Formats: sequence, C-alpha cells, structure tokens
Amino acid sequence: MKTAQTKTARLKQVPLLVITGAVAGFGGVIGLPSRAPAPRIGAAGPAAATEPATGSSRAAQPGASSPAAPTGGRARSATGPVENFGYGSIAVRITVVGNRITAVTVPVLNPLEPQSQLICEQAIPILRSEVLSAQSVQINGVSGASYTSEGYVKSLQAALDTLHLQ
Amino acid sequence: MTAVMTQAAALPLAHTEHVMGTTVSFTVLAGDLPVPAARAAVQRACAVLHEADAVFSTWDPRSPVSRLRRGEATLAMMPADVAEVLALCRLAKAASRGWFDPWALPGGVDPTGLVKGWAVQRAADVLRQAGAAAALVNGGGDLAAFGAPAAGQRWRAGIRHPWRPDALACIVAVRAAVATSGSYERGAHLIDPATGRPAGGVASATVTGPSLALADALATALAAGGDQALAAVGLVAGYEGYLIRADGSEADTGGVEFVS
Repeated sequence: MKTAQTKTARLKQVPLLVITGAVAGFGGVIGLPSRAPAPRIGAAGPAAATEPATGSSRAAQPGASSPAAPTGGRARSATGPVENFGYGSIAVRITVVGNRITAVTVPVLNPLEPQSQLICEQAIPILRSEVLSAQSVQINGVSGASYTSEGYVKSLQAALDTLHLQ
Repeated sequence: MTAVMTQAAALPLAHTEHVMGTTVSFTVLAGDLPVPAARAAVQRACAVLHEADAVFSTWDPRSPVSRLRRGEATLAMMPADVAEVLALCRLAKAASRGWFDPWALPGGVDPTGLVKGWAVQRAADVLRQAGAAAALVNGGGDLAAFGAPAAGQRWRAGIRHPWRPDALACIVAVRAAVATSGSYERGAHLIDPATGRPAGGVASATVTGPSLALADALATALAAGGDQALAAVGLVAGYEGYLIRADGSEADTGGVEFVS
C-alpha cells in the first residue's frame, strides 16, 4: 500500500550549470556534431541562459549575422526569422563558438494575449535550457509542456543555418 | 523534418517532427536493426502522430473529433482509434476518481488530455515493434521510452521547475513513460471538473508509469486535483505521482524513481 508522503527536500532548484543535461532530441534539431563527446557547458552558456525572455519586439534583424564577442574573435551570432507559434510570434538569436552554442536568447516575442505572455515567460527559458544542455550528457529529455516550441525551433534552425552549422 | 544520421551504429539516431502543435523528438538506438530500417520505422512513427493529429484535433473544425463534438457525426462514424481513445478516457476517469474528465466541460467530449500521450506512446511502440533496441520519444514534454540509452543505464528525464525556468525541479529515471502537467500550460484539460474553474493549488504534476496514454491523463488529473488526485494515482497499479504545490511544497506516491 503506497501512501502519499510530503517532502520538502526534493525541490532543489537544481541549476543547469550542475545538471548540464542532454536533450537528445534537440541534438537532431540543432544539428550539432555528435561524433565527439561534447564539452560541458562553459561559463558563457548558463550565464546567457538566465537572461530574461520577456522582451517584446526589439529591433532584431532576422537572418542577420554578426560577430558577437571581441575576445577570442570566434564567437558568431545570428537571429532567426520571426515565426508564428499559435499564441504569438517569436524569434531566436544564438551565439556560437566554433560549433558549440554558447547562448540562446529571444529578441522578439509578441504574445497575442496576456495569458500567452505568461506561458512564454515560463516556456521559453526551458527551451533555451534544452538547447544549451543538449551539448552534454546527463539527462535525455525534459518533462513539461511548452506550446511555444514549434516557432522557437523553426527560428532557431534558421539561425543555425545562417551560421552554417549544419 | 530534420534528421541527423550518425555513422556508427552505437550512436543514436535523432529526428524531430512538428506535429500536434508541438515538437516531438526521437532518440533511437537501432541495435541490431539496420539503420535504414530504423529510419523507416521513425517515419512510420511520425505518420502515426500525424494521423492522430488529423483525427483528434479539436483545433481543426473539420477533424472527425470536432465533428463528433458538434454532434455532426456519431461514434460509429469515427475511425476505430476514437473508440479506443474514449475507452481509455473512461478508464482514466475512473482511475483518477473523476479528476480527469473529458466529458465535464461544455462543448462536447474533449480527449485532448489523453490523446497526446496516447499518440506518443503509439509512436514509441512502432519503434519497439520494428526491433529498435531502445528509444526515447519526447512529445512536447511527455516522454515514452523503452530499452536503455547505454549498457547499464536508464533513460533520465529532468522535470522542469515550475517557476525557476533555468532549473529543473528534479530528475527521474524513466522505465516507460513520464508526463508532466502544470499551471504554466493552458487548455480545457486544466479546468477543475468539480468547479468548472481553472485548477489552483498545483504548480506541477508528474506521473510515471507503463503507458504514456494513462500517464498523460493522470498528470492532467493530478494538476487539477492536487493531493486528492495524488491519492487516487497512488492506487493505480504501476503508476506513481509527484506533485509540486503552489506553495512549493511537494508530495509523491512513494515509488517515483528520483535520480538526484
């Protein structure tokens, strides 16, 4: 007989810096080379991953590609086109160093209604975490819904294509 | 959509498909199955998802289920899958003590809270029946899996944190299925059937078990019914529930396989 038990210790708010999990499915989406073991997420990844995702319609230039980090000189960024996802529109910007994604941000987010805004605020960082964490190896997927994923993935893929990662 | 094939058989085949208003990702370890056969099985699994979308969509007014909901067609006129899903819905309603109830809302029966899990489970079953050694199918946050990702390892799913977007609440081992519902979602299936109002008091509800169809429905029930639904989930053989309440406290049925 199982009994419901109450815990307070489980909800650890495990930071992704520690988890650095893999979402293998996104490996397919983002087309990362899977032949060599991916390095753990560097300092740039999780730091960028915590940027707020609530900005609306700033001046993103879909498809634009530009150098992003003067230091090192190998970081490149691209912004995907604005994609509709059913509850609004979204564009995704990525920064890569070599073939590794170091940051994923959302420069354009236009929810159709306030409730969509709430959903986006909560879903988009999860998607971003999945993309970043797809480059390491400890978990295989993330459970929890995110309605924005389709537009997110489309814009992300276009941004990756711009950077010729595939 | 995008498929990345790996050269070595030991590396997983990955594929993503945009269907049912979300992204479904496949990770397949072909094992003894030749890679072309595994690739073909993934395509058949995707066809299953698109077919389910076409039949069950409540967003598409022309879908069979939309016509059923409007009373323009009878169950006898529906594809056989509709009767199967509605039978599963009745089972899930009973198992959840009514906390999952596709018949509770105005507008006709709405099996949406079970259909995605059912379809993703069927997609995973296609891969298993084709002879793949292992696979994980992630249907927008509801996962169905079989086999092992590597020798001696188990599939691991991060449970998204309900209000810390850069974190996970926990990690669980996945034997077959894990589904999570939360107040960050929206849709009729997160209406409390007892009051007809949006469910409150629950931040995140996760159910593990042998089939994603029932796990999906029970997670919906858990999101709506909180602790009362958790007690019901705990009585369903093979299924376990994990609840994060709106105040951040947690409860589970005792058998969830937490990894960390």
